Amino acid sequence: MVRSQSLSRELVLLGVLIALIVAMTVASSLFLTTGNLLNTSRFYVEPGLIALGMTLVIVTGGIDLSVGASLALVSVVMGFAYSEGVPLWLAVILGLLTGLLCGAFNGLFVTLLDLNPLVVTLGTFALFRGLAFVISDAGAVSQFPSWFEVFGQYYVGPVPLQLFVFIAAAIAVGVLLARGRFGRYVRAIGYNPRAARFSGVPVARTTVAVYALTGLLVAVAAIIYTSRVSSARADSGLGLELDVIAAVVLGGASIRGGSGTIVGTVLGVLIIAVLRNGLFMAGVPTTWQLIVIGVVLIAAVFVNEFFRKDEV
Amino acid sequence: MSAAPAAASRVGVDAAGVRRVLARPAAPAVVFLAILVVIFGLSAPGFFTFENARGILASVAVLGVVAIGVNQVILAGDIDISVGSMLGLCAVAVGAVSTAVGGLILPLLAGMAVGAAVGAVNGSLTTFARIPSIIVTLGMLYALRGLTLVITGGDWVTGIPAPTRELGTGMLLGVEVPILLLLGVAAAVAAAGRFTAWGRDVHAVGGNRSAARFAGLDVTSVRLRAFVLTGALVGVAATILVGRVGSVTTDTGVGLELQVIAAVVIGGTSIAGGRGSTLAALIGTILIGVFLNGLVLLDVPPVWQNVVLGGLILLAVSTDAIRRRVLEG
Amino acid sequence: MEAGSKQEETVIACRGVTKRFGGQVAVDDIDFDLRASEVHALVGENGAGKSTLVKMLDGYHRPDEGALLVGDEEVHFASVRDAERAGVAMIPQELDLFGELTVAENLVVGRDRPRRPWGGIDWNAIRAAARERFEALGVDVDVDAPVKQLSAANQQLVAIARALAGDARAVIMDEPTSSLSGDEVERLFGIIRELTEGGVGVVYISHRLEEVFEIADRITVMRDGAHIETKPASELDAKELVRLMVGRSLEEGIDRDAAEAGEVVLDVRGLGRDGEFSDIDLTLRAGEIVGLGGLIGAGRTEVAETIFGARHADHGELHMNGDPMTARSPEAAMREGIFYVPEDRQAEGLILELEVEDNVTLSILERLSGRGLVNREKSRSLVRDLRERLSIKGAEDGPVSRLSGGNQQKVVLAKALAREPAVLLLDEPTRGVDVGAKAEIYGLIDELARQGKAILVISSELEELLSLSDRVVVMREGRLTGEYSRAEATQENIMQAATGVGDGG
Repeated sequence: MVRSQSLSRELVLLGVLIALIVAMTVASSLFLTTGNLLNTSRFYVEPGLIALGMTLVIVTGGIDLSVGASLALVSVVMGFAYSEGVPLWLAVILGLLTGLLCGAFNGLFVTLLDLNPLVVTLGTFALFRGLAFVISDAGAVSQFPSWFEVFGQYYVGPVPLQLFVFIAAAIAVGVLLARGRFGRYVRAIGYNPRAARFSGVPVARTTVAVYALTGLLVAVAAIIYTSRVSSARADSGLGLELDVIAAVVLGGASIRGGSGTIVGTVLGVLIIAVLRNGLFMAGVPTTWQLIVIGVVLIAAVFVNEFFRKDEV
Repeated sequence: MSAAPAAASRVGVDAAGVRRVLARPAAPAVVFLAILVVIFGLSAPGFFTFENARGILASVAVLGVVAIGVNQVILAGDIDISVGSMLGLCAVAVGAVSTAVGGLILPLLAGMAVGAAVGAVNGSLTTFARIPSIIVTLGMLYALRGLTLVITGGDWVTGIPAPTRELGTGMLLGVEVPILLLLGVAAAVAAAGRFTAWGRDVHAVGGNRSAARFAGLDVTSVRLRAFVLTGALVGVAATILVGRVGSVTTDTGVGLELQVIAAVVIGGTSIAGGRGSTLAALIGTILIGVFLNGLVLLDVPPVWQNVVLGGLILLAVSTDAIRRRVLEG
Repeated sequence: MEAGSKQEETVIACRGVTKRFGGQVAVDDIDFDLRASEVHALVGENGAGKSTLVKMLDGYHRPDEGALLVGDEEVHFASVRDAERAGVAMIPQELDLFGELTVAENLVVGRDRPRRPWGGIDWNAIRAAARERFEALGVDVDVDAPVKQLSAANQQLVAIARALAGDARAVIMDEPTSSLSGDEVERLFGIIRELTEGGVGVVYISHRLEEVFEIADRITVMRDGAHIETKPASELDAKELVRLMVGRSLEEGIDRDAAEAGEVVLDVRGLGRDGEFSDIDLTLRAGEIVGLGGLIGAGRTEVAETIFGARHADHGELHMNGDPMTARSPEAAMREGIFYVPEDRQAEGLILELEVEDNVTLSILERLSGRGLVNREKSRSLVRDLRERLSIKGAEDGPVSRLSGGNQQKVVLAKALAREPAVLLLDEPTRGVDVGAKAEIYGLIDELARQGKAILVISSELEELLSLSDRVVVMREGRLTGEYSRAEATQENIMQAATGVGDGG
């Protein structure tokens, strides 16, 4: 995707976001208050972080359905290691490693055997979730020392700490994709893996890396989540992958690969957050929110495809 | 392997023929199923009985009927992950009509009609609006679930009259109706896949879409029909489920899509399209049922079920990739 | 059936047909006709317009000017199906079959299938019909085998059978023997002869002149989109044919002084890939341009890709500056100093969706980045320099898909240059490039050689090969069949080594 094209798409998204904010403010006067916005942001940092990694995966032309399951697995590994006597700081590191390994596992299966990422991550979707259940024996760990709350429940003034984490991560991954060598490789692979290979792009290494990076981001999200709800359990993150993929696709990434930006993804996450929260504040039941998200997703991709016909 | 080409075209048991049977999409799954049956038969108490076998088949009937439909969509080169939410919506339709007017035919038709309509929407958005099917059905997964909750207001539908439950709990000729339905649907779709133009065109469209277009096939219509068929079958499955469970909850159908795709893939149908069979979807479904049943009989804690399912999927696609490389050089 | 009148009956023809793509004329005011029971060969170099012409006869393209005729009536084909219904069938070079379906089924996809009384498809009838069809062709093919399991030769037979099953009266074959062995070619010819005996007309496109002489009744030569000559095969000989195909002034070429070739940079010994090529010995010296000639399918691209690490060699060794080298991937080959510019620039040479800058810098990002981030200034200035040096015009702000063929090729070359390789492998560097850009590219290649690079140019254009190369090496069917110095090389002897035709034609 050419820079000018992605910029115009992002502007459209920004416009949509602003329009939505206006609409939601009209629907409920309580929507556009700092208190509400900051509070809401807490819930969207986790899918937001994962969406950053998912953007890279989708830009390479792949997909990762297992992120919700890896979140649960990381959370459980961390929580139950701790409850078995492992010092918490070490358990946190174990959690990070687990996430990284889950991602690498996906990446290696996809590259080494040249398998369809949809099916591989469908398998790991079940596998990781299952392992989480096995380790936790369908139980939960809820006793954490108070310092652990810093990840998910700490505020810097009125601003939740994890929001800074998200912003930092978004900037880092955004720079990586837009300005980094790695980002160029990722895009090349997504648009034309054959030409990428002929140009000397390290296709295998890059592919494994995007999945592994996603796994790492999932781990960070898992730590924040576990801290926020003070509970490590195997049914965490149910349905998370759908929210994440929806945000990325909403943000302009094509499922076929090549196009997509972090700015777009962040806007996608914001749009979903505003939609959900705005509707909630306006008293619209959660059930209608689901319908709206589904319709918005389809409509957004339709519009994207429509404009894509004029490109290339 | 006979060297003379003349010998290879003889009909009957010969090297090329055996090779061809082994190369059929469902072959590894059948072999695996046989091995599993033997293993569980020897190690799990109570596995190798008629009742147990019927229990397995009855328990996977809902999954199987849906999987057979989704199998056609995947064969045609698309995918449908909205079937779980579709099932919920169809179940509500069945429940609503059933509690209103009772009987069996009307609720069944209601379920099938709703399913077919949703399938038509999925198919239209995919073909006419050119939105990738994964996105369409992902969005529908959300939207339909929300719609179902809106319609039911979060309440369950209970008190399903007995006649409606026939498809779930009835017996016919000494066999549970769900089993007969599963096998009947499998036979019907397999027959369509073999003896109708549409059934064959699905393979062509999924295998080589551009060549199919050049050959003059109406690619849009072929794909659309696969989606509609899936919807109708989801309606049938919903009726079976409502019959078995006796109620419709807010969770009906949640998570079904994973099991459906697992069944299709484990059975040997390729996610890329153009390769597979109804038998593959059926065997894949039965495999899952056998596995889960075996685990229960072996007193393996239920928490292991997902691990097993995930492992099965990974194993199935890996062996398929390796087998293809070996058989095709 | 009156034999006499049937001979002269025109099956399909075109009059004054012209076709343009973008700004370029692919086919210019051509008359062509195919008679019943004849094999009419269509020959010409790459880019002569043969493919475009037959694609119009087949309904794939619509002529911009001129008329198509079936029999004596003017027709308009809106699609390939229309042409098929009119009795025209084409067997393209890249077969478009359904690999997962059986041979028998491939014959009936998209057509009315025979039915049983109860409405279902009658497979026995389909299989019987297929068996009959193949028997009539005189070949033994397992009609129940999935097509993907068949050899290339048998797959082609299936394509032919499918064309015939549609009751074609005109069959167009595009390079039908490019993947066939000697026996299989004979078998194909037997089938073609049977077809013509049955009244079908065959258009036969091929580079293999000896085959053309064996099978064709009439031969039409095209060059640069224009019709050059149509004559009965008996009135032509190989030398004459070659002259008609290539005869054009050498003005567009360059003047290369007998170059002082330097050290041996790349040494290839006994390189082979089973089924593709074998016993390839090649030496590339600094400052030298070696031309690699041969027909399509001779294996030249495969050799280049193997040297570049995109394919794995089964036999042989490579030495780079005296040291043994095994490049297992393009990335590794680049590190050794080899760069390959692919034949298919749109699919393999460029990423069409990206801008010029992204394409040009893709292979050297490591050099342009510090701490993982690409230095925009360095990148832009490098691309600016290359743009200037190569006179790349267009798409200052957009995807490279917008560029003309010539400029696109220059972008690929810029990418190669950015890498500063010691060895440059160029595969058809001026295919689809206009005359002006061609001259510029020739100048560039010359300059690069003077700078000391070792260059291999694969080309199917004889005169390009002759004007660029210090030495010409020729391949045919996977083997080296000739080597000529600049002084010795002529169009005729290269063509002869490439086709195997003629010791005194």
